[in-house]
Formats: sequence, structure tokens, C-alpha cells
Amino acid sequence: MTSSFLLHIQPAKVHKHSLKAGYSLGLGLISLYLFLILIGTGVLLMFYYVPSTDRAYNTMKDLQFVVSAGLLIRNMHRWAAHMMVLFVMLHLCRVFYTGAYKRPREFNWVLGVGLFLMTLGLSFTGYLLPWDQLAFWAITVGTSIASYAPVIGPKIKFVLLGGNVVGQESLTRFYALHVIVLPVITLLMVAVHLWRVRKDGGLSRPDEAGDVTEQIPLAQLPTNKSYGLMELARGTTPQVGKNPEDDVFSWPHLVFREILLFLLVAAVVLFLAIFFNAPLEEFANPIHPPNPAKAPWYFLGLQEFVSYSAFWGGVVIPGLLVTALLLLPYLDRKRVGVGRWFARERWIANSIFTVCLLAAIVFTVIGTCFRGPNWGWVEPWQQPPASAESH
Amino acid sequence: MNNNSMLRFYGWFTLLGLLVGGLVVLAYYKDEYREWKDYQRKFVQEEVRRAATPQLKALAESTPVEVRQILLPELNRVDRCTTCHLAVEDPSYGGYPQPLAYHPQHDQHPFEKFGCTICHRGQGRATTVADAHGGVAHWDQPMLPLQYIQASCGQCHEAADNPAAPELARGQELFETSGCRGCHKLNGVGGNIGPELDKVGTRRSPEWLKKHFLAPADVTPNSAMPPQNFSETNLEAIVLFMLSQTGETAPGYYASMKVIPSADQGQHLFQQKGCIGCHTVAGRGGKVGPVLDDVGLRRSPEWMMQHFRDPQSVTPGSVMPKFGFTETEARALTEFLLHLKERNLASSMPSFMNPVERGREVFRKYGCAGCHGADAKGGVPNPNAKTAEQVPGLLHVADGYTVPQLKARIINGQREINALDPKRPPPPLYMPAWGAVIKDAEADDLVAYLISLKPKGDDVGF
Repeated sequence: MTSSFLLHIQPAKVHKHSLKAGYSLGLGLISLYLFLILIGTGVLLMFYYVPSTDRAYNTMKDLQFVVSAGLLIRNMHRWAAHMMVLFVMLHLCRVFYTGAYKRPREFNWVLGVGLFLMTLGLSFTGYLLPWDQLAFWAITVGTSIASYAPVIGPKIKFVLLGGNVVGQESLTRFYALHVIVLPVITLLMVAVHLWRVRKDGGLSRPDEAGDVTEQIPLAQLPTNKSYGLMELARGTTPQVGKNPEDDVFSWPHLVFREILLFLLVAAVVLFLAIFFNAPLEEFANPIHPPNPAKAPWYFLGLQEFVSYSAFWGGVVIPGLLVTALLLLPYLDRKRVGVGRWFARERWIANSIFTVCLLAAIVFTVIGTCFRGPNWGWVEPWQQPPASAESH
Repeated sequence: MNNNSMLRFYGWFTLLGLLVGGLVVLAYYKDEYREWKDYQRKFVQEEVRRAATPQLKALAESTPVEVRQILLPELNRVDRCTTCHLAVEDPSYGGYPQPLAYHPQHDQHPFEKFGCTICHRGQGRATTVADAHGGVAHWDQPMLPLQYIQASCGQCHEAADNPAAPELARGQELFETSGCRGCHKLNGVGGNIGPELDKVGTRRSPEWLKKHFLAPADVTPNSAMPPQNFSETNLEAIVLFMLSQTGETAPGYYASMKVIPSADQGQHLFQQKGCIGCHTVAGRGGKVGPVLDDVGLRRSPEWMMQHFRDPQSVTPGSVMPKFGFTETEARALTEFLLHLKERNLASSMPSFMNPVERGREVFRKYGCAGCHGADAKGGVPNPNAKTAEQVPGLLHVADGYTVPQLKARIINGQREINALDPKRPPPPLYMPAWGAVIKDAEADDLVAYLISLKPKGDDVGF
């Protein structure tokens, strides 16, 4: 069963280039593994979790104190979730810097951007479920960023929360989104994403002499060879290309590497889960906001933007960024520099992307480490003055 | 794949496999090892050591090692304290060191009904010492130090009528007589210069409270509160009373224990329900019903109880209505009537007082003394106030105000206090508008009291 599953979900033969760890860094596969770990641990957590404002927090405490391996599972879920956000972002960067979104992979890039947004959605909806102070205020801040969108912003917030403030309705909605709606959509998109990788001829790689990069009309295919349906692909599939000596069998070359990578991911997640506990603050208290109330880390760049201008930072900039990402393969159409890191022919695109990336990182770091009470500037190595709680 | 790379794969596979396996074993060990298991094993050892017969020994040895818990759905609590404190109900463990000590005096608060954390606080769901005792980050109810344990009685019982909590009663008395309410609201009654105190017991530690009473500005910069000169024992009592203010109200069964039926409570009810409209006590009251001064000699407690439940059932033709008293209320009233003779009603019942006496009570009730000083003599500092940097005393208000002016002054307050030096920060204390808090009749009484303060003989020479 193992071989029939593993060897049917991926091609019998792959190009040697696809196996180079230094090229793909395994980032997509790591993201997939993390997603699978999240599904597994998530189902176990569902056995205990109750999405009620009265009981959710208590189930967190029970997981920690009386459920066998409860804390471990919760920690694994938490850290794997943060890692997935991180690795999906890294995967996106890798695909950009290797020009892998170019023809024929334009649509798979769009799917990938969709999966990135799905990952953020999954992480964000999961953030509320422990119903502690951290959860409550992060979601309060996060959804208020959403409400800055013109016209529909307040509606989006209202629909997400099931009201104007975070309450039982919000918890019910976030729970349903987190455990069924978003995972199912994500799973379907992952399936299409992986299928398109095969349809588009495996991982991107530099064009070689004799590579077919245009779709071959069926009528022109040589008829002295029999084709499987999956082989009727356009682009640089091993079968379509003419360099069979560069192909190797997926078993064992690819599958072994995949197994090793899974073990590595599992080891890292286990290590984090054993030695670092997922945060759990006080029971959610709607009348006692922490100062500052911060969104989850991957939205802190956005929150920092918003602190300058709600409209520009909360709507225009993120809107433009997402639109630019989605349209990218249709704007940057010249098929040069595919399959190589930081190809010099692509220096303009790479520079623009790098500037945006650095800006996002800088703003996220500022929002995470340098912002204290009232969103004022603090240096993380200085202890904030013992806040004299306003009397 | 050639042999060389096969070998390399197996090498990596073994290494990573061992790493993952090792981490799984470590995770299992960490999950399996829980500190409460050590305590349970020690308890079993002790039980085995004490066993007199082989049968008892076998029984002790078969004690399961498991989490023990008391489920308290009505209190929304699960207390797992007995996972380590296994002998709380076994008097033969009296004097043992913790965690195996016996808990004395719990007959009126059985564990299966009350659990532990409702009195001791801490984190009932936790099963490690540090988490359970609550002194950890992100848990705002650490265990109450034993010396302040009476603070918890106030959650279900009236402070003043619980003979088992004298410290709490003293703390409340201090709170009501030291003028705290002049600035602070508690249960909706009080001023608004300082913060509300409804939940102060969960926000503040005993150490913080002590420092704060002695030198408020040390822990709360720019606090307007004057330092309080409490004696050591009074300080402990007022701190204890503050700790009792958790803002939590006990549900259902627990709330029904609010009132331990006492003569004090009975007297309170007697006034509240207007009994004196028909009955005469100590020469005052209505003539419709019988005089009650000697009712304790004429009637048995059982008769009175039945009478409160249904007057006609023991006195056919009685015109007294069925008031629908609860059993607790009926018992409190009975208690009051039985002890009527010993009580000095004239000094303790507002309906027996004249306006000046009632006004003094109003002055006390709303904490006016907190700013205007004991008996309105003044002396409380108010830095940079034009009135000698003090809140003025009120002994001479009769000279400056007419009765309506004084009443208006109390009702409207004065937000801006004239400063001695306009360059310095404005005086922190000011006169709140009491109109929303104080009742109209109370304001009249208060004015009568304040007017009466004018020292005798002042008019001589007019």
C-alpha cells in the first residue's frame, strides 16, 4: 500500500535537479509535513476541546495537568502552526528567487499565494481557541485591522466575530472555520497544488537544450511511444524532455530523501514541544486589555503599519501586496532566469521583492520587539518601567 | 542508487530515527513523571507502615496512584488539591507535615460540597505544587496566606454576623468608620476620587496593600490618598477586608448561606420591613399590633417561627399579612425578638434616632470622615489647597451656609478646588457630587448633623 500510494502521488522518475537540496531546500515539503502534523495533533485536541467561552480555557488547563500527553500535543500543534506560517513564507520566497513562477507554472503560483493566505487564516482562527487574554486581545486587534477596509471592512469584522465584540459567537465561528472549513479548503488546494507540480513537469529547473517549454499539441507527439495520461503535460517533464540520462527513479532516490526530511521535521517539532510550552495567559477578560494588545506575530508588521495610518497601513498596502503577488506571474512574463537562485537577468524583480521583504521583516520586528505600552517605542533589552497601574 | 548512497541513506535514517525515537521516549518520560505521583507513593508508604494487619496492609498497598478531584459544577471549579493532600479528612494525620496534614474544623464546610479553592484560592485544576499554589505567571489568584483566610468567609457570609470571622468584621468596621467610602466605591456606594474596590482582593497582594495604606504615593505615584495611620493590628484587619473583596458572588446554595441568622440581622430586617408601623417597641411604633417588648417571655421560638410563616395559623383572625419570609429571615427575626430586652435599641436603630443622630450615621456611612476628618474636625492633607493645604473641617459650616445652600453643596460637589499656588499641581482631593449616591432624606439628616456641629457658646456676644 505504501509503495502504491507514494509512487502514484509522485512520478516514477524525477529529474536529478529536483533532488538537489540546495535548490528547493525542501521548503514546500516541510510545509506539507507540518500541515499533516497539524491535522493529526488537531484531531487529538478536538477530542478534549469544547468551543465554549466557559469551558475552552478549562480544557487548556486540563490538557496541561491531567490529560496524558495533552500538553505535548498542544505544544506540538502550537509550534507546528507557527513553523508552518514561517515555512510557507520561506517557500514563497524560494519560488520567487528561483523564478519558478514563470510559464508554465503561473497558476500554481497563484494557488500557492492562496495557500499562504489559507495558512494565515488557519493560524489566526486557531489563535482564539484557548480563550485566554492572549487569544482574546490578539483577535480583537486582528479583526479591528480588518475593519479598516472601506465600506465592507466593518461588515467583515461583524461577520467574522458574529457581533461587534469577541464573544461566544466569535468562538463558535472561529472554531468551525478552524477545524472544518479552512482545513478542507486547504487540503483541496494542496492536492491541486501538488497535482499541478506534476502537470507542470516537476520542480522548475533551468532550461536545457532540447527542453520543450511550449505545450505540444497532441497531434505532434510521436506515436511510437505509449503515454500515460499524466505524461500529457506541457513543460519540462522528464518524459517530454529529451535527456533521459538525467532522470532517476523516484524510488528510492526521491522517497528516501522525503522520509529523511519527515524525520527531521518530526524531530524539530518534538524538540520544541518537549522543551517549550505553548503560552497560556489568564482567562480572557474583556474589560482588562493588556497594554499593548498585540496581534499574532505574523500580523505585527501590519499592526505597525496601522499605527501610522489605519487606511494606508491596514488596507492599501496589504491589499496592493496581495494583488501584486497574485498577478506577479502574469506581469513578469519573460521566461528568463528560471530554475536558478538570484538569476542576474532578474535583478530588477529580485530587488523589488527583496526591498518589500526586508520592509515586512523590519516592520514585524519593530512591532514584535520594539513596541511597548500605548504602542510607544521600547528597546527590548530595557525592562519597561514597572508600570504604575493607573489608580 | 548505488550501494554507497544507499549506505548513506541508511546512516541518516538510523541517526534521525534514533533522534525521533529518543525524543518520543523523552516526551513519554516527561509526561509520565508527575510530581503528584511521588506524594501519593509517600502516602501509600505511610498507610502501609501504619497497617496493623496483613489484610489492611494489602488494602493500603492496592491504593491506586491516580488524580483525585472534587467536582464543583455550581462553583465552576475542579479542585485537584486532594491529589497531593490525601489525608485532609483523616484526623489520625493531625500534626503531620504537608502535604499529608489533616484539615481541622471542616465539618460545616464538607470538602465534597466546597472543595478547597473557594476558601484557600490557588489553582484547583493544577497538579503541580507551583501551579496549584498559584504563585505563577498568568494566574491572578495565588493562595491566600493562612493569616488572611478569614477574607474568604466574606464571599458567602455577611462579615458582621459571622462569629468565626472576627478579623473580617473588624476590617469591615474599620472600612466603614475610617471614611474610605468618601473616595472609594464599594458595591456601588461611595465616592469617585479613588478607584472602585469591588475586585481589589484579586488585583492586589497583602504586601502591596500594606505599603499602600501606610504610604500610598510610594506604590501609586501621585496618589491623592492621604497616608493612613493604622496600628499594626488594624492594618492587618483592613488588609484582610480588602482581600475579601473579590467581586465574586457565590451561586445558589452557597449564597443561601449569606446570612447566618442572628439578632443583628433580625434587627436589620425588623427596620427594613417596617414592623414598627404596627408594633410598638421601647415605647415607639404603631398600635395596630401587640407591643413586642416582652414577647420573648410570652412566646416560644417555635411559635414565633410558625407565626412568621403564617400568622393566621397560630393567631386565627390576625390582621398581620404573610410576608413570605425565608426560613433564614424568620430565624433571624425570632432571634431578634428573643433578645429584644438586652439590645439598646435607642442607639442602634435609625427609626429611634433624631435627625442629628441619623445625620451622624450618614456622615459615617458615606465616608465623609475620610477627607473631612473624624467628627468633621478636618486635618486631612490636600497639598496646594488654598485652605491651608488641608481639606477643611466642617465644625463651622453653620456660619457660612444656610440649610438649602449646604444641601446643594453636598449634592453638587465642587470639582475645582482653589489652589494656593497656581503653578503647582492642583489639589488632588475635591468634593464629589453626592446627588447620585446619597438619598434626599439622608442629605437632609446630614445637613442637620453638620449644622449641629457648631460649638456651643460661639454665638455668645452676637
